[in-house]
Parts: sequence; structure tokens; C-alpha cells
Amino acid sequence: MLLPKFQFHEPATVEEACRILGELGEKAKTLAGGTDLFVNMKKKVLAPEHVVSLDRIESLAELGFSNGTLRIGACAKAVEIAESDVVKNDFPALQEGASKLGSPLIRNLATVGGNLVSARPAADFPPPLMAYGAKVVLRSGNGERTVALADFIEAPGQTVLAADEILESILLEKPEAHSGSAYLKLGIREALEISLVNVAVCMATEGADGPIKAARVVMGSVGPTPLISASAEKTLLGKKPSEALFLAAGEAAAMDSRPIDDFRASADYKRAMVKELTRRALARAYDRARTE
Amino acid sequence: MTEYHVINGRAPRLDAPAKATGRAMYVDDIKLPGMLYGAILQSPLAHAGILNIDTSKALKLPGVKSVLTAEDAGMVHYGVSPARYDETLFVKDRVRYIGDEIAAVAAVDLETALEAVSLIDVEYEELPAVFTMEEAMAEGAPQIHDKYPGNMCAEVHQEFGNVEEAFAQCDLIRTDTFLNKRQDGAFLEPNGVVADFDRNGYLTLHTSTQSPHYVMRIIAMVLSLPVGKVRVVKPYVGGGFGPKAATNSIELASCLLSMKTGKPVKMNFTREQVFLFSRARHQFKHTLTTGVKKDGTLMALTNECYLEGGAYASFGIATVYYAGSLLGAPYRLPNMKYDGYRLYTNRPACGAQRGHGGVAARAAWEQQIDFIAEELGMDPVEIRMKNSMEAGDITCNDFNTSSFGMKDCIEAVKEESNWSEKKGKMPEGKGIGIATGFFVSGAGYPIYRSETAHSTVVIKLNEDGGTAHVLTGSAEIGQGSDTAMAMIAAEALGVPLDCIKVSSGDTDFSVDLGAYSSRQTLMTGHATKNAAEDLKGQVLDVLGEKLKVPVDQMDIKNGFVVFKGEVPDFTSIRTIYAKEHRGFFDNPDSDEPLTFKEAARMAFLARGSMVGTGSYKPGDLGGKFKGAAVGTSPAYGPSAQVVEVTVDKGTGKITIDRMTDAHDCGFAINRTSVEAQMQGSLSMGVGEAMYEEVKFDDKGKILNANLGEYKIATALDMPNVDTIIVESNEPNGPFGAKEVGEGAIMPTIPAILNALYDATGVRIQELPLTPERVFKAIQEKEEREK
Amino acid sequence: MKKMICLTINGKEYELAAAPNMTLADLLREELLLTGTKKGCELGDCGTCTVIMNGKAVNSCLVLAVQASGKEITTVEGLETDEGLHPLQEKFIENGAIQCGFCTSGMLLSAKTLLDKNPKPDELEIRTAISGNLCRCTGYQKIVESIKDVSEGR
Repeated sequence: MLLPKFQFHEPATVEEACRILGELGEKAKTLAGGTDLFVNMKKKVLAPEHVVSLDRIESLAELGFSNGTLRIGACAKAVEIAESDVVKNDFPALQEGASKLGSPLIRNLATVGGNLVSARPAADFPPPLMAYGAKVVLRSGNGERTVALADFIEAPGQTVLAADEILESILLEKPEAHSGSAYLKLGIREALEISLVNVAVCMATEGADGPIKAARVVMGSVGPTPLISASAEKTLLGKKPSEALFLAAGEAAAMDSRPIDDFRASADYKRAMVKELTRRALARAYDRARTE
Repeated sequence: MTEYHVINGRAPRLDAPAKATGRAMYVDDIKLPGMLYGAILQSPLAHAGILNIDTSKALKLPGVKSVLTAEDAGMVHYGVSPARYDETLFVKDRVRYIGDEIAAVAAVDLETALEAVSLIDVEYEELPAVFTMEEAMAEGAPQIHDKYPGNMCAEVHQEFGNVEEAFAQCDLIRTDTFLNKRQDGAFLEPNGVVADFDRNGYLTLHTSTQSPHYVMRIIAMVLSLPVGKVRVVKPYVGGGFGPKAATNSIELASCLLSMKTGKPVKMNFTREQVFLFSRARHQFKHTLTTGVKKDGTLMALTNECYLEGGAYASFGIATVYYAGSLLGAPYRLPNMKYDGYRLYTNRPACGAQRGHGGVAARAAWEQQIDFIAEELGMDPVEIRMKNSMEAGDITCNDFNTSSFGMKDCIEAVKEESNWSEKKGKMPEGKGIGIATGFFVSGAGYPIYRSETAHSTVVIKLNEDGGTAHVLTGSAEIGQGSDTAMAMIAAEALGVPLDCIKVSSGDTDFSVDLGAYSSRQTLMTGHATKNAAEDLKGQVLDVLGEKLKVPVDQMDIKNGFVVFKGEVPDFTSIRTIYAKEHRGFFDNPDSDEPLTFKEAARMAFLARGSMVGTGSYKPGDLGGKFKGAAVGTSPAYGPSAQVVEVTVDKGTGKITIDRMTDAHDCGFAINRTSVEAQMQGSLSMGVGEAMYEEVKFDDKGKILNANLGEYKIATALDMPNVDTIIVESNEPNGPFGAKEVGEGAIMPTIPAILNALYDATGVRIQELPLTPERVFKAIQEKEEREK
Repeated sequence: MKKMICLTINGKEYELAAAPNMTLADLLREELLLTGTKKGCELGDCGTCTVIMNGKAVNSCLVLAVQASGKEITTVEGLETDEGLHPLQEKFIENGAIQCGFCTSGMLLSAKTLLDKNPKPDELEIRTAISGNLCRCTGYQKIVESIKDVSEGR
């Protein structure tokens, strides 16, 4: 299989990248890990005239805390996020999402930014990041803007990113005390899978034993974009955690899901799995909240 | 412990160092000077008439050297079996599936070739298509091949004994159905070729194939070349599993392009094209009715099977027979009726894949036997032991079992898996299941009608006697046949293994039918043994003359000449040898016994080139009824397997916790290779049971023509396997050896199905066991029980 | 327009011209005749094209040659040294972990990066490390045993 011909650009800085994209606009595609872009180019789904690589811009790959906010550069690789102690300690659902993406080989190339921008409904990064209320910083030659990740992805393959913008970083606030989170991915095999259904939850209780004071349930693969279940959140808020509550939240999430029948699985099954995975994820998140 | 000095051990594979260091050349690693790159034009429609093909734009593209269609290639019909030569290299007026080949291009590079293909204009007239067996059989269905009305590629009707009478005597009769899905070989190396037609009119084709011999014959026939001018060479092959035994379009097209351009031509299938080519596992729909006595004695079986075969017959003409014949064993079954129907559909053609037509049939029947056992209140191990055949038994369809360690296999897995402690006592969500298997050790007859030897081997001794070079047309495709032949040659000749060199997979070396139907260990092994013994005999002949010792008083063992009687004075031989090797480092010491090298040197001096030849052809096998040939074999490999699973009822996911497998391979030439084939075969069975399915849209296009969505087991999916080698010493096998490669897959699917039933009480009679299918079945069961 | 790239492959420095749309897999196989790196699917699904790039095992079919400029690449050909075969190669050969051999290059390199980072992995870690390398022949068992043997110094 051959890649179509293109002109290749390797800016050294974010400014340079934005300048090039400003000039080329729709004629260019940005390259981060390449695990999505090159597959689509080989399959002839995409044939951009220009490819602008962000691979050499070191500032885009950094990962670190600053004033209680975790900043993850868009070009941080899945493996770096999966192996980061910072992420593991404070954002375990993110660590889980990163470590279940594709395979170890893919994780050594794929970037969190690429996973967000390619906006595939079954992507592994959006649900946990959205569960943590992440924001994304978008940069262009004209400056930058910050957008809630929940508002960033619009449709399969489509985000609010303009043609002259790059996704520069993802910002996460450290979860409050007595928080717990979890990410579960259901696939046919144990590796190299695109999720049948994936669910991320983040919750916080009032004190160690109190009722739930904050909760977010995010489901992937069951809608054109990752979906936040408002009904699940409503079901959980103010209640004492319990098996029955988590089951009810799962049912609510299933009601909010919008799966379709496709060659991977039926909508009925996916809906049933939203219920099951939500229930399990909440149980695990609560366990983590208690042992914090 | 063994009396042999090479075989039955664990010699490292001869090809392993080359593969471990990246030196092993596979077909796409081959580059020849002036080589062109080829590409094929394939139909985007499942069924259409071709009104016009315009290659003019393609021909004008700079860098294009040749564009060929049916006009240039002619319409010689070929296939796998002469009984169904229903394909042509290029189609002329009709395409029959998405992927059917219309034209081929050779150009200076791949990019140009692909562009040229896109410039070929074809005018189609779309025709209605049929995709399923039901659609193919329906009244008024579009006919795919004019010669085969009703889209019936082949029909088989066989009855042995009298099933009606037998059923009348049964205490229990059960009918069950079973359905699998089309699958793919999913070998890691896509098919590829380099064809080279030289200026002397000799054609050499390098191709990733399982059978250089069959490919050579088809090329000679289709391209009208004398057999002696066609040489097929198999480089290292990255897996075959059946589909690579069928001659493919790029094998033919590249040869024709090379003939037209006078240059070597390289062509490869992309992974997607591997799926389009298929020639892989059929879909089978079985309806089995089995009758037993209340003590569990099997009395009769009727087996009705429909195969969804795709657009051409390929190996499917044999598959439709195997789907019935292989149930003749491993149990004593006096009455069996089989009705098989292979339908043409507008999809890629199906062919032979590991276990051939036996895998789905075995899965269906082993599952049904468990159901019967349950109804009778018998343990699944018990009912199998009770009915198991023994060596010397003949099946109702005339298969002779000259060795048959079936009972040993069942006992072995029962013991090793702790069956008695586990069955019926597994914790919630866990289950244990058993199944048996049975397969041929080489097809009894070649795929084309012929009295040919199935294997011929030449062994050439080098002039100083230090190396015996085995020349064989057999195909090392990863299963370890080169090493097995080296070990057999070493043992039979009487020399250490490192004195043997093997060159294989080249039709210039010898006739060998290739790696399919699990034949090479037995058949090529026999020919190799015969050739080695022939060579040894020649050497001993000369030695006998020189030393005045009768040949039957001498033998070669481990590189030395051994004498039954008194050791004669061989000083003269030693002196001659030393004189001819003045200054060499490895001349025998004066007190060493007479070496094979010295004896061989004498033989060379006396007679010139020392060449041993051997050949093998099975005797007359099987009955006299129609289709009797298919399933006949000089030997059969039985096996048994126990699988333990955990079922996550909340999602339907099955985890395979443990597999215990016992395989009767007659005699293990290389123990490591036998284990390795068992483990690999089982991993393929796991994939076929749990994940593998080729999916189509309603226009006949494959939805998952890639290894991401067509899912084979990864290292995280496959458990460890406890392998037990059973050796029943097959009298028809060289040193008692028979097959392992294909038989081992047989019990896997039903063992998993039976374990699933044990874990959940859920009967699933359709593959694959995706989480959705299992979850749904569990839900339905729970609903019924409310 | 080809671009000049400088990269180190198996310890040797190369200066080459590469078209932007050439993958690292093709650069290795076609330009440098290092054909030990294989192409099984070209879409990142099978792992037969695995090479080590700056210490990490990656699918070379999804990396552009131009992206590899300035980086250190190890292919299967670079595993052996003047002293002989790498212990992983020796164990794979000894244990019968190689059948058709097409997955072998990728398996060895994935295994090497695992042991370089985690010299004493448990079985789950071993299986995870090679979970991106498909094998159709072996069932993985002798491959896992070989990696374990090397990690235990056998």
C-alpha cells in the first residue's frame, strides 16, 4: 500500500506550526502520532496536499502540574500518559484509557491530541478526560482559546478546531478529596481493539462516607460523539452510594445512550453494556474514593 | 528413552537462525535486476456483465510496460481439481464477486502500476446477485455459472449401512443444527510473487505457496508452457493454512506479464486483497441426527450439510466431501448417511483451510454428543471412551485405522486436566468441556487424477561424504517439514543431524504434492527415509566389495560404520582417505572406528556421484463408492482436548482459562515441533470459535478486510496449553509417524462450546462466540426460566 | 521532492534522500535492503513491521522515513553483535518459538524493549508487551517461555 504524495512540513515551534496552518488552511492535515492519519491516507479516505508534523515541537509533548492544574501537551504519547505517576495517582481513569488504547506499539506513537482531534466515537481518551471535566487549549496565529472538551468534539471526525488551529494542550483540575474514577473498555479481544462500548466515571462523596456530591458518567461508542449521561448524574447526586444506586445509574446511562446497529454489535447489546459497564465503573470508582 | 539418535528428540529447527536474524528471504524480500511491478484490476461489483474493457489510457501512461486482459491470456479454465475447472485468469464477459480479476498491469514501479489500473475503463452491466446459501438455492435465483444450474457447485449423497433400520433400534434420537461463519486463513505474510521468464524460454516463479507442484502444473496448463520449462520456487513462507495451496491470480498474471515484457515481475496482495482472494474456510450449515442406545452406543448418524462456497469451486469440491466423510471416525459408527450441497454465491471463493471440511462437522457432532450424554445421564468422557475406535477398526466409509491412540488421548486429557475432580463441581460462571478430533495424514489421492508418486526425494551425497543434501519439492511453510526431513534423513542414513542439508520447495528438485492435508511428515518422510536407505545401501555396497564383508553385516550409526561380526581391517581405506585429505583438520584418528565419511568417499571414487532416490505413494485406499477417495489416507490422527472457561455473564465474554490437549501423532519426529503445532493449531481454533468471521454488506463487499476488524487471538487472548504427545506407532508412517498440524484444531471449537454449556447451561449452536451472542443466549435462558 | 534525512540504523549512520510519502518500513526494506522488517498489513494491525525507534517499539509502517530523521533505529538485523546472537534470538531458536518466522522480527524487538525496561517481567507483562504482535503459527506459548527464560537468565 502506498501513501499518496504530499508536501511535508516540520515546524520547530508552535508559532511556526500556526503560521503554516494559517497559510495552508484546508489543504493541510496535522500529523501527531500518525496512527489514524496514515491509516486513512493508505485507505485513500484522505489525500491532503500538505502534512504538517507537530512531532518535533518539544513543548507540545510535555506533561506536568502547574498551580494544581495538570497540563498535558497534545503530542504527549499514550504510553507516556499510561506510565506517568502523576496521572496514575490523581487521574486513574485517564491512565486506564491510555493503557488500553490499541496495542503497546500503537501507544508508543499515538498522541492524546491526535486521539481527540480525530474524534472517533470509540476513542479511548475522550471519556476519561471528559469525566474529569478537561479543557483543551486551541492555538492559532491569532492567539489561543480554551474550550471544554465536552464541547470540542462535534461529530464523528469533526471538532471545533479551525483549519488554522492546533490543539496545544489539555488541562485537568486535580479532583477534589474523596474522589474516585474509573474507565472500562469492552472489546472482543484483550488488545488491538476498538471499543464495543467504553465508559468513564468520576465521582466525589461528601466526606469519606457521605452521599455523592459530584458525578460524571461519560460513554463512548454509543453515539456520534462521546456522551455525558445527564440522567446518570441526576440519579447519583445526593444519594448514598450502593450497589442498587449504581445499577440505577447504569440504567439511566443506558437510556441516554444512542447506539446504532453496526457490524461490530447491535444497538441493544451496546445499550445493555452501557448499563453494565457504568455499574461496574461506579463500583470501582467508589472503591477508589474510599481508599483515597 | 529412545533407540534413535536423531529423531524423537528436540533438535532446533534448521530455518530458525535465518528467521531469528532477519536473513530469511520471503517472496517480497526478493529483488531482481530490471524488475517490474504488477497490479491487478479487480471487480468492484459482485455480479455484473462486462460490456467493454478499454485499456488505452493505461497503455499510454509513461512507465507502463504491459496491460493484459482475457484477450491476451485466453480463457483456459483452471481451478484446483479437474473435476471443477471453473476459473479463468481474467474474466471476459462476467464478474462473479467483488475481487474477480479483470486485467493486470506491469510498470516500472508500484505507483505507476496502481495508477495504470485505475485508468482501465470497464463498462459493467450490473446483475442481481446472491450472497447466502438460501439466496443461491432460491427459485429463480440468478445463475452464477451456466454449467451448474441452481448454483449447485457439487452435491454429495452417500449412505453406509442402513440408517433407517438403525434408528428404529435406537432408544434416543436427537437432531441438532450448527452454523459457523466464513473465515480467513489470516496468515501473517500476504501472498506475493516474483515471476521471471528468461530469454531461453524458461519461466521461474517465486511464490509464497504451499504447493509448488500444483502451482507449476496450473501455470503450465493455463499459459500453454511445457511442464519442463516451468519452475516454481517457494522462498520462506509466512504461513499458509490452506488458502496458499490454491493457485492464485497473481501467480498466473505475473508469469504472463513476465513473458510479455521479458522482465521479472513482482506482485503482492495487500492484506485487503488476501481477504478478497479468500480460498479459506467455508460457511457450513449442518443438521445432524444421531441415534444411540440407552447405554450410549452410537448407532446411526445422518448429516446434511450446506456449504456457502463463493464464486468458484477451488478446493471446495473436496470440502463438500470432507464435511461428511470425516465423521466416519473416531467413534464406531456402523450407519452413516451424508447429503452435502456446495452452493455458488457472489462472494470470494472458499477453499481448504486447516482441518478442511472436518472442523465445523466435528464441532457440530462433538457438541451433540455432549447433549446426548447429558440426556442419557452419562459423563462426556465416558460416552466417548465407550464408542472410541481402536487400531485395526475400519469405519463404515472404508477408512482403515492402522494406528489409533484415541482412547489414550482421552485418558490423558482426563487425567491431566483433573476432569473427575472438576466436572460438575466448577464454581459459578466456570465450566469444563471435552471433545475429540480426527483427521487424515495426507489425502489418499492427488487432487488431479494420477498414478503419480505423492512424494519423491533425492539425496545427493557430497564427494567427501560429509554432507548429504536432501532435495525435495516439499514445502516448509513454517510447520517444520525441512527439519523433520533432515532428522529422518539423518536417522535413516545413520549420520549426525548436522551432516544433513535440506533444499526444498523447488519443482526442479522433485515432485511433491506439497503442504496440505497434513501429509508431509508421513509421505515426504517416507520418501526421504527411502532415499536415505537407498543411499546408505549404495555406500555399503561399495564398502562391502572393498572389505569383502556382506552388506547385511554392516550398518551406519551416528556417522560410523558398525559391523555385526568382527571388525575387518580397513587400513587401506583410511590410508586412501588421509592421502586425499592431506592438511585437512578433521581426518579420522588412527584408532577411530571406520567413519561414514571414509566409506562414502570410497563410494564416490568407485561410482562417481552418489545419489539416493526415494518415493512414496499410498496403496489403494478406500471403498469403491462415489467420492470414496476423499477422506482416504494411509493414516489418521486422533486427538482429545479439555478446555476450561470462565464466562462473564454480565458481558458475555468468555475467558479461556486452561487447555489440555493430547494428540496421537504416531511417533514424534521432533517433539518440539509437534508441541508447537498443537499450540498453534489450538490458537487458530480459539480464534475461529470466539472471534473470527468475515462480514459482508448487502452488496457483497467485505466489511472487515483487515486484521483490526477480522480478529485472530492475541498474546493476551491465548492461554497456555498443556500438550501431551501420544505415540501409537503408525505402521504406515516413517518410523511410525503421522500427522499433527491439521488434526489438532478439531476438538477446540466443540471443547469450548461444551465448556460454555457446562458453565452457563447455555447451548449456542452458531459461531463465533462473540460476547453479544453469549450474552443474548444467557439472557434468553434466564427469561425462559422466570 | 525528496528530503535529506540523517539517521542511525543498527549503530550505523546513514544520510539518505527520502520522499515524504515513504514509510520507514519501505525505507528499510527497499532502500537499505534490511528486509528483516516485514509488511503483514501496512495498517498497524499486525506488528510484523516493528522496529525500535529511540528506545520504543513502533509499527514502522505508520512512521514516515522523514520522521525518523535524527533518530536511532534498531531492526532485527541489529540484534546480534560481534559476540553473537542476542539471548532472545538464542532462546527463540532453542525453544522452538519460531515457526513461519514472519512475526519473529517484531516479537524479538518488542521483547527486547520490554526486558530493557523491565528485566524481570511476569507472564502478564510479557504477554502485554507482545500484544501488538500477532502470531498465527505458535499460539504464543513458546515465545512467552523464551522471553521468560531470558529474563530469568536461563
